[in-house]
Amino acid sequence: MQLDWLTVSAQIVNFLVLVWLLQRFLYRPITNAMRRREERVEARLSEAKATRAQAEDAARQLAQEQAGLEERQDEILEAAREEAKALRQRLEDEVRDEMEARREVWRQNLAEERAELVASLQRQAGHQVLRVVERVLADYAGTDLAGRVVEHFTERLEALDKETRDKLAEAARTQDRTALVQTSTVIESAARARLTRAIHETLSTDIEVDYHEDPRMIFGVRLTIGDHFLEWSAVRYLDRLEAEFGEIIETASLARGRGGQGERATT
Amino acid sequence: MEISPDTQILYQWGDWRLNATVAFTWVVMGVLVVGSWAITARLSEGETVSRWQMFLEVIVETIRAQIAEVGAETPDRFLPFVGTLFLFIAMANLLAIIPGFQPPTGSLSTTAALAICVLMAVPLFTIARDGLGHFLRGYIRPTPLMLPFNIIAEASRTVALAIRLYGNVMSGTVIAGILVSIAPFFFPVLLQLLGLLTGFVQAYIFAILAMVYIASASRTRGGTDGTPPDSKGD
Repeated sequence: MQLDWLTVSAQIVNFLVLVWLLQRFLYRPITNAMRRREERVEARLSEAKATRAQAEDAARQLAQEQAGLEERQDEILEAAREEAKALRQRLEDEVRDEMEARREVWRQNLAEERAELVASLQRQAGHQVLRVVERVLADYAGTDLAGRVVEHFTERLEALDKETRDKLAEAARTQDRTALVQTSTVIESAARARLTRAIHETLSTDIEVDYHEDPRMIFGVRLTIGDHFLEWSAVRYLDRLEAEFGEIIETASLARGRGGQGERATT
Repeated sequence: MEISPDTQILYQWGDWRLNATVAFTWVVMGVLVVGSWAITARLSEGETVSRWQMFLEVIVETIRAQIAEVGAETPDRFLPFVGTLFLFIAMANLLAIIPGFQPPTGSLSTTAALAICVLMAVPLFTIARDGLGHFLRGYIRPTPLMLPFNIIAEASRTVALAIRLYGNVMSGTVIAGILVSIAPFFFPVLLQLLGLLTGFVQAYIFAILAMVYIASASRTRGGTDGTPPDSKGD
């Protein structure tokens, strides 16, 4: 057994060549392929991990959102209920207020109408009374009632105070000493004479007296000297009566209108 | 009886003689290189990997794992050298079952050549990593008196490696030859099977020992481990 050194060196060369060839064709490609695959697997794993982390984050967020939504759902429902309640209350109040206002207006209108009706009735009644009195006076004016009126006027003339008498006498002096007597109807000559005498006695004897009829006076006597006049007439009474009627009606309707607001309208 | 394929001259051209050792070495090389090339030419980096690629990946990964187990921190540095040692020896022993094939590992020249390669590789890897000065200082450690013993240790290690592989492979062939002459039927088949097993074991041991030498050398030179390089054996 001996060593063939040529063969040994050839084998060394062969082995080194084989090392190079296998490095070239086996180890490098295989390790590279494995490393690349590992890198890819690693990349995919990390990607999957990242994706999973993202998905978990998203799921957690969704769960939180859902919980928040459920929580808020109750709150929203409660709020909506409260709002609806408040709205209903407000609408009811509004309707009630409106109805109250309308009823108030209606009541006022009713009271006003009633007051107006009462006033109008009273006014008509007053007028009617006046008409009746006027008719009665007119019917009886032609009788000796006129004489009584003249007599009464005479009495009043004689009962005048001195100041008025002087004033009338002064007026007669400045007005050519004429006096005008207006009556509602024709009076008898005796009554005329008595009235003329009374004027002469009371004021001045040289006063000329004119008599004149004025149907508008309805019933009464008027003595006019210049700007002054003395009158006794049923018209005055009637005017005063009408004025008083008017006042009464006014106060009554006011009182009714005020009192009617508080009470229910009854028919 | 033919013991060494060195003496078997297949072709002679002038002074150049092509013996069986070199020729069968080329055959082994050809099988390895062509097989690797055929598979690695169609490498896949995706999810679907061909069966043959898987096979190669398993082999390469196993070798890397073994290197890492022995203690090398960077297996890729030693993979080409140690891996080729294993693959060459394993393939040579595997092809021995083919009738007429004479494994080149059965030649002392081949095993000596591999042992010399290991002998050269140990300091080369150390120098490549730590530098020449660091490597040379390792021979005079712990004292310069140890210089001759260190040199003897290096040489004996190489010789032991060479003789071990040669002896194992050659003995297998010799035993087969003897058994065939004694019991021509059945026994040779069993021995062939045994030979396959021992062939792989030899390849494994040779490669692992080479790696151990390299690793321990770099460790002792680096001063991190005091384990004597020769404490491991087969």
